[in-house]
Amino acid sequence: MSMDTMAAEVQKVVKVKTPITIGRILRNEYFLYVVSFIAFLLIWDWVAKAQILGKSLDTPYEVMKELARLMTVKLAGKNLLGHIWDSTRRVFIGFAIASVFAIPIGLLMALNRYVNSIVKPVFDIFKPMPPIAWISIAILWFGIDEGSKIFIIIIGAFVPCLLNAYNGVRLIDPELYDVVRMLGGNRRDEIIQVCFPAAFPAIFAGLQISISIAWTCVLAAELVSSRSGLGWIIIQGMRLTRPALVIGGMVLIAIVAWLTTLLVSGLEKFVCPWKREIEAV
Amino acid sequence: MKIKISCRNIRKIFIQKGKLQVHVLEDISLDVYDNEFVVILGPGQSGKTTLLRIIAGLETPTEGRVFLDGKEVRGPGQDRGLVFQSYMLFPWRTVVGNVEMGPKLRGIPRDERRKISAHCINLVGLNGFERYYPHQLSGGMKQRVGIARAYANNPEVMLLDEPFGQLDAQTRYYMEKETARIWETEKRTVLFVTNNIDEAIYLGDRIVTLEGKLPGRMKSTYKVDLPRPREHTDAAFLELRHRIIEETQLLL
Amino acid sequence: MAYEEVRVKIPLILRILPWVSILAFFGTWEFIVDTGIVPRTMLAAPSSVFKLFIEKLRDPNPDGALLSVHAWTSIKEAGIGYLLSLLIGLPLGLLMGWFTFVRGIFRPVFEMIRPIPPVAWIPLCIFWFGIELWGKVFIIWIGGVVPCVIDAWAGVKMTNPTLIQMARTYGATDWQIFKKLCIPSALPMVFGALQITLAICWTNLVAAELLAADSGLGFLITMGRRLALPEMVVLGMVTVGVVGALIGVVIDVVEKQLLAGIRR
Repeated sequence: MSMDTMAAEVQKVVKVKTPITIGRILRNEYFLYVVSFIAFLLIWDWVAKAQILGKSLDTPYEVMKELARLMTVKLAGKNLLGHIWDSTRRVFIGFAIASVFAIPIGLLMALNRYVNSIVKPVFDIFKPMPPIAWISIAILWFGIDEGSKIFIIIIGAFVPCLLNAYNGVRLIDPELYDVVRMLGGNRRDEIIQVCFPAAFPAIFAGLQISISIAWTCVLAAELVSSRSGLGWIIIQGMRLTRPALVIGGMVLIAIVAWLTTLLVSGLEKFVCPWKREIEAV
Repeated sequence: MKIKISCRNIRKIFIQKGKLQVHVLEDISLDVYDNEFVVILGPGQSGKTTLLRIIAGLETPTEGRVFLDGKEVRGPGQDRGLVFQSYMLFPWRTVVGNVEMGPKLRGIPRDERRKISAHCINLVGLNGFERYYPHQLSGGMKQRVGIARAYANNPEVMLLDEPFGQLDAQTRYYMEKETARIWETEKRTVLFVTNNIDEAIYLGDRIVTLEGKLPGRMKSTYKVDLPRPREHTDAAFLELRHRIIEETQLLL
Repeated sequence: MAYEEVRVKIPLILRILPWVSILAFFGTWEFIVDTGIVPRTMLAAPSSVFKLFIEKLRDPNPDGALLSVHAWTSIKEAGIGYLLSLLIGLPLGLLMGWFTFVRGIFRPVFEMIRPIPPVAWIPLCIFWFGIELWGKVFIIWIGGVVPCVIDAWAGVKMTNPTLIQMARTYGATDWQIFKKLCIPSALPMVFGALQITLAICWTNLVAAELLAADSGLGFLITMGRRLALPEMVVLGMVTVGVVGALIGVVIDVVEKQLLAGIRR
């Protein structure tokens, strides 16, 4: 029947061929990306060499040399991979603990009015406090070892996870519950068959936000007081007045943070294949 | 003929936003016979969706009672199937996953579930689309999944709430034909709500009209004695159409 | 009409529970400190925090400034950084969303900066700016410019393509479409960005001050730790939270005034 073939047609993509001209190349987005990137590196190099910012900027080449050096040398008893792993480990532990507690609490708050009225007021008091403000008190309580850093990460990752789980349930179309009830389900079925799956996209959005907050927290904690980790590398760069080290560390942080974000969105595609792709910015 | 559904003096008042009282239905009494296709026809804001939801058990009437096979209706249940206006498919489940939700909730084992859902998917003509997700389907296909899902639970009564309201005219005609075909294949008592008069005459054995303003009251009943399959351009069809329009001043 | 007014009661217990919860929270807090379950070196009771609050309204010791001075420094830094983020980020994001050329030039740099947490810029900023005002403003700005660009960009991308096609049939130029169509369409997202950017700016402010400052609320918190005065730390934290919330409310009110009539 034509209905089925019509639907199949909707999914076909038609490619249009356009001629190649100089004008088109100059206005092509990817070409501009390349030009821009090269220009960026050149400007950076020039600013560093001309010492416009004093001695506090190193050329890209020096940064790369430094990064190469880092991969072979040991800093404070650990090689580069060790430091990266230290930071990443803290992020994952704190993030895992936070989400394991925050998501169920958020779901519970949305499902049960009594839990909501008990927990929400206290939560609202703590919500506006930036997690980084907790660093000092964390150090008072846990000293400068792993505990304080993981504590900060938990605090930071907790809020978005809970909030997104909460809103994820609240925004479910109430008619979906009607469907389950009409098919013979009870309240428990409503929760298991509708609440959880419907809230997944929101929960994953919360996880992504949590992860970037977790990275910020771990860095801040490491900057203030630590003996290892990517934040420590940067602070060493500052103490030893080696801008190449600082910038190299920043580059590493960018890469590692980007990789973890990729991991979470990969996980989301796996768990929530039904979520439609909105063109990513 | 056996009476399947019986509504006696249904009255419904809603309380909106904690303050506003809305009187939606007043003194509705309706009998639906076994395997009859009854269409409830009315313009927007006439309370017909509310009436359907009361029969489904999703709302409780402020006054009055609903009986199914002589037993009072006290809540939603597997014996009534509801097809929603906005499809309401579970976006995280495939077509098969949606259709077999009913049997799954009843604890039917997987093999039998697969057989039932295969049968229903075949019934609505969606063979080959079992593994598709709702967002990959067109509107008409989504609604067919909705119908298959309701049928999978083998309900005694099928309730359809303006199921084709969101479809374009072409798809709508096609779905009306499909609905008639599906109903002929597996006969059931059907209560169909619509605001479209052509749809009502094409599908129904009996048409019940509601007043065009709140609170909704029953206006009149029309028996549709035309043989199936019906033609929109048939003389008798058009005559009935004319009559209904005259008497209800339904603007089309 | 069939509408009438009727009262519906929220059960009494649901209305009391929030207050009971808050009271229980503060009560337990006070209790565990007063009875020594948690030593006074680690946590300060709400009562001593409050006492310090009253003191610091008038006494610049022991950290060197009044509470209001600290708060004002922080608000100043955050405010400047926030405004700069808006002034640079929003137009940039709008332009990037529409004009391929602008996007081509700025996107690589933007995508490189984006994954770096603003906190990571702190040592570099100390190199470049020392611990003066502009170092912190830079950190706040770098953190705030990212959501501004992203939201403005997304706002432009969400312009109804049918409207764009319609404008083209009237012969509108790219620039005209941008000015008259894309920018108004993007406004809801832009206003959404205001709140998010503020939260991010405020967070980064505290981070920046933790490391290098001689006044400000973040500095107050660090001082509290150095002097082993948990009261000061908690006071700083609470003030940060409260001021942040207040600014959020102000932005909310401003937004509602500006948007009165435009539907979100």
